[in-house]
Amino acid sequence: MTASELDPLIHVPTRLKIVATLAALPAGDALSFTRLQDMIGLTPGNLIIHLRKLEDADYISSEKTRNGTVSITRVTLTGHGRAALGTYTRALRDLLGGLDGDGTADAARPGRPI
Amino acid sequence: MNHTPDAATAGNGGSFDPQQAAALLDQATQQARRRFTPGPPLLWVFRAVLVLVVFGGYWLSVRGHDPYSAPSGGLLAVIFVLVAINIGWSTWALKRAGAGVSGPAQRKRQAWLGVMLVAWIAAYAFTVPLYHASATHPVWALYPANAPLMIVCLVAAATAALRKDWPMAGPALAIAIVAAVAAFGGPAGAWLIMGIGLCTVCLGTAAFKVWQQRRSVVRP
Repeated sequence: MTASELDPLIHVPTRLKIVATLAALPAGDALSFTRLQDMIGLTPGNLIIHLRKLEDADYISSEKTRNGTVSITRVTLTGHGRAALGTYTRALRDLLGGLDGDGTADAARPGRPI
Repeated sequence: MNHTPDAATAGNGGSFDPQQAAALLDQATQQARRRFTPGPPLLWVFRAVLVLVVFGGYWLSVRGHDPYSAPSGGLLAVIFVLVAINIGWSTWALKRAGAGVSGPAQRKRQAWLGVMLVAWIAAYAFTVPLYHASATHPVWALYPANAPLMIVCLVAAATAALRKDWPMAGPALAIAIVAAVAAFGGPAGAWLIMGIGLCTVCLGTAAFKVWQQRRSVVRP
């Protein structure tokens, strides 16, 4: 396996953060757009662009509700999105396992600052 | 918040290599786990100190009493302050973790909190018939030391197990077991056993929470 075979939709820093954040919630639970924005640290416009790409691929679903004058958008990671993240994580694991054999992955162990 | 170079505009990930991706995946997951956790490790450490001060202080206050008498007013005041801080901190942590989150798991958690509130009230409401039955001081010492926690934690363990929430069911069952063992310690000894036992469970839970939050997604 090579890095180019990683899911290109998830293999983008911002979208990886979005998907990883939503995956930390129990399956089926939704996160409000504002909380997601706060956690990811993006401008609303930028976040919308990434969410739209993920939604087009059916990795997330969004729902807009109106509470009086305030409208709330909630985002959920779909089963398809959760499975895609699982596949992506396994692929990363395989790739890093391969790098371990070269003795280079130890210095870039996940969890250490980038 | 640290901003990771965004290759999104390039659309294909740019120079985002697998090591960076693995590190970012772990970092984002760990951050999300921390922020969605209703009972942070530090709160469990505070609870460990709380139970040691409350139960240990109570034991120091009542040990050797013959006949048994109530603890000092000063200790009761400290207990009320610490319990109030614990309730306030727990409520804040719960609200912070659940902010912006909705869905079936969140609704189940809210229903569970309702059940737990009823269990707490029921466990302490039993002191009213004890009062009317003119219960002796040793009974007053033994009942509040372990019975309410045993009842509440058995309910918590059973309901958490139904939801397959094992990180919640485990400590709840451990506390219920400590309370059951402490009941054999007598009116004064029960407080000491509860203090040490609960402190150990709380510290163990704090350590488990730290491990749970920090474990790697990519390197299990």
